[in-house]
Amino acid sequence: MRNKIVGTIAVVALSVALGGCAEMQRAAEGAARRSGDERLARAIHGGGTLISGLLPIGYEEESSIGQAIALQVVARYGGVSDQSDLTKYVNLVGRAVASTCDRPDIPYRFAILNHESINAFAAPAGYIFVTRGLLKQVRNEAELAAVLGHEIAHVSQKHILEVIQRSKRLAGVTEAGLAYAHQNPEAFKGLIDAAVKKLLDEGLDQEKEIEADQLGDVFAARIGYDPTAYVGLLNRLKTLKGDDRAFFKTHPNFSTRIEAVQKVMQSEGLKPTGVMLGDRFTKLSKG
Amino acid sequence: MRRQPWWALWVGTVIVTVGVFSSITLAETVFVQAKTAKLRAGKTSLDRVVADLKFGEALEVLKKEGNWLEVSTAAGVKGWIFANKTTTTKPSGGDDALAKLGKSFRRTEASEVTASAGARGLDKASETYANKAGITQQHRDAVDRMTAYQIADQEVEDFLKEGGLGEYAK
Repeated sequence: MRNKIVGTIAVVALSVALGGCAEMQRAAEGAARRSGDERLARAIHGGGTLISGLLPIGYEEESSIGQAIALQVVARYGGVSDQSDLTKYVNLVGRAVASTCDRPDIPYRFAILNHESINAFAAPAGYIFVTRGLLKQVRNEAELAAVLGHEIAHVSQKHILEVIQRSKRLAGVTEAGLAYAHQNPEAFKGLIDAAVKKLLDEGLDQEKEIEADQLGDVFAARIGYDPTAYVGLLNRLKTLKGDDRAFFKTHPNFSTRIEAVQKVMQSEGLKPTGVMLGDRFTKLSKG
Repeated sequence: MRRQPWWALWVGTVIVTVGVFSSITLAETVFVQAKTAKLRAGKTSLDRVVADLKFGEALEVLKKEGNWLEVSTAAGVKGWIFANKTTTTKPSGGDDALAKLGKSFRRTEASEVTASAGARGLDKASETYANKAGITQQHRDAVDRMTAYQIADQEVEDFLKEGGLGEYAK
């Protein structure tokens, strides 16, 4: 009789593993515990945990990861600007571009880093940063929109989350969601630090940067900005520092990026008919 | 009455079949790919709003004119939407199906960790991280303010209008 009960529980657990029914898994786990077989209950619990650990990161977990990475970006890049008018302007441009991007249903927030280097970063869950140094190079709103579009694309395509997911597997983290962050904060810190190193020091894979360049320009053009503006900015930065990767070390060289943006303009039929809004940028970027 | 030749019947059948399939092909479905979108009575941003649409909502395309689509909602409301706020493939949203499945397996400890420490505050996982990584209070406050930062949808709409962006393009 006991064998029959155990067999039934095992079948239920297997169907749970294959069918992904969390409620049934919990029921099977409870039934095993009630029948006095704690070992089987733990095995069923572990099966569910293992399955969920292999599934993609959900928004709840993404949000905590994004916040933790944002803390490191702010700490390493001199803090955030307190110029409220300028911050509002950057947020308005960013929100405009994000409103018709490929993932418009999550909140996007934008902040200016008190740093003279020329760079921009995106952490998961829509935490986006541009440096003061980069803003000084921008001449019009369409250029700013494309820069923010590039960072929005990193979020919409979940580029950093892929890095985290890989690191989780390598570190043998099979616990679902944020349970590991609660039970083992050191493991969570290790994952965040590795992601920060990739983001700020090593750079994402080159094809991810090219994808972000292309999608960012498409997003900016979709809401009405001139898609040629981004080519103008990249050309100006190239003239400033050539193809020196130490200057913009986490990204591919400018020639490759310009070529990729021109290619997507052609393939997507993006016409240079959008707005540049140079005057509005000059007026509002003064902060 | 004169009898029709056999081939006339065949040609008639082909014409009717082609006609039926053509009309099916024309019935294109698009989805709202913007956080919010307005369905208007005409194809300008000055026309009256007939419905507020939600992200991912399915719309049947009736006509295309320039940057605007005349569509019908599932509730049968007809109107015009700015084409760049739509997509032909259903957007997946914040969590895709697999991520949602993963979430369903998670137990209470996950929600304990993400429960906000205060009305705004960093969540518990980030706060623990900040403690372990030695992040200063000033930098925690900066991320805290960034998380809480909000701009009303209407303000974004006014910004688009003033810049001639989106559906306000000239």
